[in-house]
This record gives sequence, structure tokens and C-alpha cells, in this order.
Amino acid sequence: MKLLREILFPLLAVLAAFIIGGIVVLLIGDSPIQTYRLLIGSAFSWPDGIGYTLFYATPLIFTGLAVAVAFRCGLLNIGAEGQLYMGAFAAAWIGIKFAGMSGWVLLPACCLAAIAAGAIWGGIPGVLKARFGSHEVINTIMLNFVAIALVSYFTQYHYKTPGDPILETTPIGPGAHIARLGKFIPGLPERIPLNFAFILAIIACVFVYVLLWKTKWGYEIRATGANPTAAEYGGISIRKQIILAMAISGGLAGMVGINEVLGYRYRYYDGFSANYGFVGIAVALLGRNHPVGVFLAAILFAILLRGGIFVDAYTIHVSKDIVDMLQGIVIILVALRPDAIFGSLKKFSKAKA
Amino acid sequence: MKYKALLALFLLSSLVFIGPACNRASYGADDKSKIHVGIVFDIGGKDDRSFNAAAWAGVKCAEMGTLPDGRTSCGKPALDIVLRDVEPGNPTSIEPAMRAFAERGYDLIIGVGFAQAPIMELVAKDYPNLHFAIIDGVSQLPNVASLIFKEHEGSYLVGILAAKTTKTNVLGFVGGMDIPLIHRFEKGYEEGAKSINPNIQIVQNYVGVTDAAWNNPGKGKELSLAQIGKGADVIFTAAGNSGLGAFDAVEQSGTINGRATHFVIGVDSNQNMVKPGFVLTSMVKRVDNAVYDIVKLVVERKFQAGFHVFGLESDGVGYVIDQYNKDIVSPEAIQAAEEAKKKIIAGQIKVTDAMAN
Repeated sequence: MKLLREILFPLLAVLAAFIIGGIVVLLIGDSPIQTYRLLIGSAFSWPDGIGYTLFYATPLIFTGLAVAVAFRCGLLNIGAEGQLYMGAFAAAWIGIKFAGMSGWVLLPACCLAAIAAGAIWGGIPGVLKARFGSHEVINTIMLNFVAIALVSYFTQYHYKTPGDPILETTPIGPGAHIARLGKFIPGLPERIPLNFAFILAIIACVFVYVLLWKTKWGYEIRATGANPTAAEYGGISIRKQIILAMAISGGLAGMVGINEVLGYRYRYYDGFSANYGFVGIAVALLGRNHPVGVFLAAILFAILLRGGIFVDAYTIHVSKDIVDMLQGIVIILVALRPDAIFGSLKKFSKAKA
Repeated sequence: MKYKALLALFLLSSLVFIGPACNRASYGADDKSKIHVGIVFDIGGKDDRSFNAAAWAGVKCAEMGTLPDGRTSCGKPALDIVLRDVEPGNPTSIEPAMRAFAERGYDLIIGVGFAQAPIMELVAKDYPNLHFAIIDGVSQLPNVASLIFKEHEGSYLVGILAAKTTKTNVLGFVGGMDIPLIHRFEKGYEEGAKSINPNIQIVQNYVGVTDAAWNNPGKGKELSLAQIGKGADVIFTAAGNSGLGAFDAVEQSGTINGRATHFVIGVDSNQNMVKPGFVLTSMVKRVDNAVYDIVKLVVERKFQAGFHVFGLESDGVGYVIDQYNKDIVSPEAIQAAEEAKKKIIAGQIKVTDAMAN
């Protein structure tokens, strides 16, 4: 019964969102079938559709996992956006500073920099919560602003090509480039930016699963999230778990930088994130804070992101805002806790009888 | 086991949606014989009342022969094209948006704003048989047209109007992002003003150094008030949405005997009606004309890559006198500006292009 609920309710939420969205499209004056054909069909064309969809899914998997890990510890990490900016800039910084180095050293160094920067940025609110009890929601939100302003400042004043009107750093060394999957998959052209970061995202899913459900650390994190008082009574240091979970969460968010900087643009581009950190919250919510769910939810949101462009271009009245609307409805329906609805329905029918 | 079931269910449910997608959609009633034009807007979107809106007006005029409202004629014939547009909304979507058009073999793909230039170069290299046009950006590729405006010339003329209007001999300039493109406005404005009175002083400020500088009317107003404090009584803005702050600042300074004490000069689109009585004039950049012209060239199969420069001679830039400001600007000022315009077109006056060096 529990398993059924875990699977069925998110699916029902998505389905219901699409039905409501379809009605809205009909009211606007376009054909819902035609619109959904564009929205979803354009994500499954080969190679561009599938390539780009998986490319879009990569950062969402990272941020979804980040939010999920924190959530399993009872923490709400709204700061994935800031953490991923720190991670991306750190990766670019190492890539620029040590541009001449061999790829065997430079590439792992850049990846580690991205993870470390994200982990530190996520760890700060963790420490603040553990040490002073200040709420992580406030602190992570505030640190988003700090991170975005900080990397923007460094890009503008220290790492930009002089005279370039576009706010981006100089390119990273060629050794830090991650190979695009197009090199290895026949039929997938290399111009599609899908790269090894996607494989890394799948590995991250496995890592999070093993960590949370197969190790002592993960058990302690989950115990803290489920019932901190009982966990403490059982000899678990809650403070340590809070800091650890936030650092892991931040590190996962920072890995978005690997996809963006090392796999796509080969430089830091200011303001690159399409709200990945915030969409990650929705991904984790829809994915029920489980790595498999997060992976599937990230693919779904990536489909919407890709399809939105096509809906915007090839329908007459509907704009890409349909995607924001669908996301919003999905989130509301998932957050509604369907079990609660069914519960009240039961009560209602009982009262009637 | 548990997750296999989950996966199976998810796949099953997604099949319901993919099903109809498989029988290759026709994507609306696109007539293959017509010229297809796709336009990719800047992050601001097509309703920014300024730069993007002008580009939208240009393609809409080419499609329908009307303004974007669909009723009023734009004064030019419709060109019988299929028009599609995308508002990417975030920088990651710009490249796929352009490719969405390129994949379907669109004849002309227009990118709005200099930020799209590097992305357009990537896409244009992959599709050498398609035509591309970038507004405000520069590319050397053989299938990309760079639509450039001589903002310095238009700014020179409004500099003359400002110099003829000021009583304090102090002029203000509020720029948006501190980049060479905006220095071009500033330099032309300064030269125009000094051609009337070499002793005129220019106070200049920039809103910021990031994209956010285009969208901060609050800071635009503060800078304008500071400039008014330093004695400036005419302020030229080249700051996108932030410039609207300057409109508030001059309005706040009030009027004496029905005439405003301080004036603002609008930019890009005609902004004379934003605060009637307080707007001296607007330095317009006819992005709409430039876009219409490039579509027309493609329709006539006369597309040419390289620089398409729009200056005073082709009415690509200029100033506006209409019912909102005809009583504010003195005939003598207009005469001086018109003379300078003739001289610039004839090559007798050379306005410094701050981007050229």
C-alpha cells in the first residue's frame, strides 16, 4: 500500500496537471493535443530531442538530489541555487588558473573544486543551524543572494575578457573539458552538449542511495530527519548530522558546475542557471526524496523545459509559460498530500451517509 | 523489485503521452513555399516597450503589414512569410531555441541583442545554408548579417537639442551597463553638445556593470537626482528600463509657469509620451526598420552577410518631434540639429565612434 502510494500519487499529480493544463490550452484557443505533441514529442526526437532533454536533466538531477539529501535529514535546502553558482565558478576558476596543466590533473581538480565550493556554501548554514540554531531556510535563501553577487563581482572585475560586453570569464584550459557523449555514441552529433556529467549524475544517484540506505552515516542522517529527539537519545550527534547533510547537499548542487562549465560552455557564464536550484526543490518533492524518483522527475522537468521552447515557437497562442503553469500545478498537487485529500473525502462521504 | 514496478508504471504512463507524438506532427499550417522567419528574443522578452518590442514590431510588420496590435498599418507591405518567435527567458535556452528553427530549415533566423552573437556563431557554422541576422552584434561568418546602428550620430543630434535647451550649461547622461556600446551614446551626445557650446559640462553615471543594470529604475532615479543636484537640467538616458527612473526624477523637479525645469531624453523607442512635457525628445533606434529590411532582402533572395549599418542617412537612428514635445523644443534647436544631420550625412562632420577604438 505504501509503495503504491509512493508511485501512484506523483503520477496522478502529473496526469492531473496535464489535464488541467490541457483545459487551459483549449480556453486560450489552441489544440491541446497539438500542444502536448510539441511539448512532449519534441523531447523524444533523435538525436536533438533526447540529447538536449538529458542535458537539461543533468543539473536537475544534481539539485534534486541535493534537496532530497537535506530533506532526509529534516532540513529544507533552498540554497541549491547559490551553491551551484559557487560550484560552477570554482570549477571555472581552477580551470583558468591552471589552464596549462594536463587534463589528468586539471579535470579532477576542477570537479573537486566544484564539489568543495558547493559543500562549503551548503555547510555554512549547516554550521549556523547546528551551532546557533538559526533556521536553515532563511540562511540558505540569504546565501543565494551573496553567492550570486559574489561570483558576478569576480567575473566582472577579475576574470572577464576586457572589452567583452557579455558577462563571462575567459575560457578554461582545454585539459578541463569533459568529453561530450556524442564522441562515443554513434548518431549523436558532438554539437549537442550532453556530456559525461550526465553519467556522473547517474553515479550520484547510486551514491546517494547507497549513502542513505546502506551506510551508518546515512542511517544517522535519516534518523535525525525522522525524529531528532529519538536520534539523540540513541546516541547520534544531531549537530554533526545537520552539518554533514548540508555539506553533502551543497556538494551535490555544486556538481551542476561540472555540467555547465566543464561540459558545455568551457567558461563561467554569469546567470547561466535556469533556476535549477529552485526547480530542484520541485524535482525532489515529485521524486519523493528518493534517488530513483529524483532521476525520473528530473527527466520530466527537462522534457518540459525543452518542450516549452517548441510550444513557444510553433503554437499560435500558447506561450512557453504553459510550462511554468504545469510545473506549478504539479507542485501544488504533490504538496497537497493526496492521502490527506482521500482522507477528507472518506470523512465527507461518511458524514453524508 | 520495488523500483522496477515504479519504472514500469512511469514508462507506461508516459507512453500515453508519447503515442500521439510519434506520428510526426506537422506543426501547424506551415506553407513550405513561403519564406520562414524565426526570431529569438533577448531575456527581456518581446514586450519590453523598447529594444525587443521594436524588433517584434519589425517582423510583425513584415508578416502582416501591421503593428503588433494586428490592426494599425505599419506603412509597409506585408511580405508573405511564416513567422515564429521564441522568448528564451534564460540564457541556457537561447541556443536550443535557435536550433529549434535551424533544425526545421528556417530561411532566416534573427537574434535580438549582442549577447546572442557567440551562440549564433555556433549555430550558423552548423547550418551554412541558412541565413542569420544578429541585432547589435557582430559576426564575420558568411551567412550572418550584423545589423548595427550608428547610435553616436543620433546621440550627437540630441546632444545639440540638449545644449540648445539647457540654462545651466550642465547636461546629464545616465548609461545602463558600462560597456562600449553605451559609451558610444555618451560620446556622441557629448560631442553634439560641445559643438554648440564648448564650455558645456557633462555629468555621466552608469547604473551598473551587470545585466541587472538594464532593469533598475530605482538606481536610475537616484543617479538622475544626483545629477540634478550637480546642476544638470537635461538628462539623456541609455539604460533600458532603468532609464525610466530619470523620467521620474525630472517630473519630481516640477514646473515653473507650466514649463518643466528639467528635461529627460528617451532612448531606443519613442518615449515622448511617457511623461509628456518633461521629455525633450527621444533618440530612436529604428530596430523595426532594420529587421523589416533584412526580412525583405531574404524574401527577394538578395540576402547579404556582413555589416548592415543603419545611420542618419537611412533613418536608422534619429530624434522624434511629435505632439508631445513640439512646444518644448525651440525651432532654433531643431534647425541646428537638422543642419548637423545634413553635415553628418554629407561627411562634413565626423562623430567619434567610441566602439571603433
